[in-house]
Amino acid sequence: MQNKAITYTYSLKLMWPAVCRNRSVEILKDRPDLVDQMNKFRQKVENVLKIVCRKHFQVDATYMMSGVRLWFESGQDCYDLIIRQPEFEWEIQPELSVINSVTSQLQTFQIVYTPTGVTID
Amino acid sequence: MKSAYITVIGNLPVKFDIEQARKIGPVIASANANKSIMFDYATCNTETNLQDMLNSASFKDSTLLVPETLFKKYVFFDGVTCLPEFPGLKSYDIDPEKCSPQTLSLMLAVYLRQTIVFLVGYDISNPIELTRLKSIMVANPDTKFMFICNPPRTYQLDDLNNGFCDTFIKFQELIDRAK
Repeated sequence: MQNKAITYTYSLKLMWPAVCRNRSVEILKDRPDLVDQMNKFRQKVENVLKIVCRKHFQVDATYMMSGVRLWFESGQDCYDLIIRQPEFEWEIQPELSVINSVTSQLQTFQIVYTPTGVTID
Repeated sequence: MKSAYITVIGNLPVKFDIEQARKIGPVIASANANKSIMFDYATCNTETNLQDMLNSASFKDSTLLVPETLFKKYVFFDGVTCLPEFPGLKSYDIDPEKCSPQTLSLMLAVYLRQTIVFLVGYDISNPIELTRLKSIMVANPDTKFMFICNPPRTYQLDDLNNGFCDTFIKFQELIDRAK
């Protein structure tokens, strides 16, 4: 039986720890301690997601200055992570990207934090 | 392989084995008018219908397409997708948030660029619905629209070159040939 292909529909950007943000490649070459911290952070994120996610997820390997991109198969996993970010002391960029299965376009929405949860604008 | 056929199930209840139609191409449902049938796509523009569809087993594997405002509210629900921006909406005077789900389904069918659109259970008794159907047919002359109904056949679409009407028996014969 052929396995159903995994489609990562939801995407969030998780910010690096404050000291690692917006560092150029040149600076990172001179600061192995930061690279080490970033690698450990990425590993921790992956380990946590393995525990909390119910469906498939992916930690994007592409280096970005502001943070690490996460992809989720399920919207519920994505929502859980947004809601639980204080628990892990993480900061998510308030932007949610969703792949439209009909048009194949990546649509981006703003995440607005409210006292009762989050809304999408 | 992309299919040439697409079936739009309108607002009316349908007594036909839609699984047969799914063998020749995708099927689009209009809101929750036919809850016992499995569909590839379903459109809706009211929150009540969407909640009902999300809780119906038959829509579990369907892609539920809703307008952007409703999508933002249900973005984290798997299977809920934002309707694409249909070209020429303003010229049709159609508001995706207020029009009937069957009009949304029809526009989606045209957007997906299939050559033949079967209209099953499509309600044309309302003059607004009929006018909108005709407008979409005129705007898409390369697409054939086949209105499927029980006898007697309607002559409402005969004034358009790409509008046809046939019975469920003929539809079944066509499916059998195309399979």
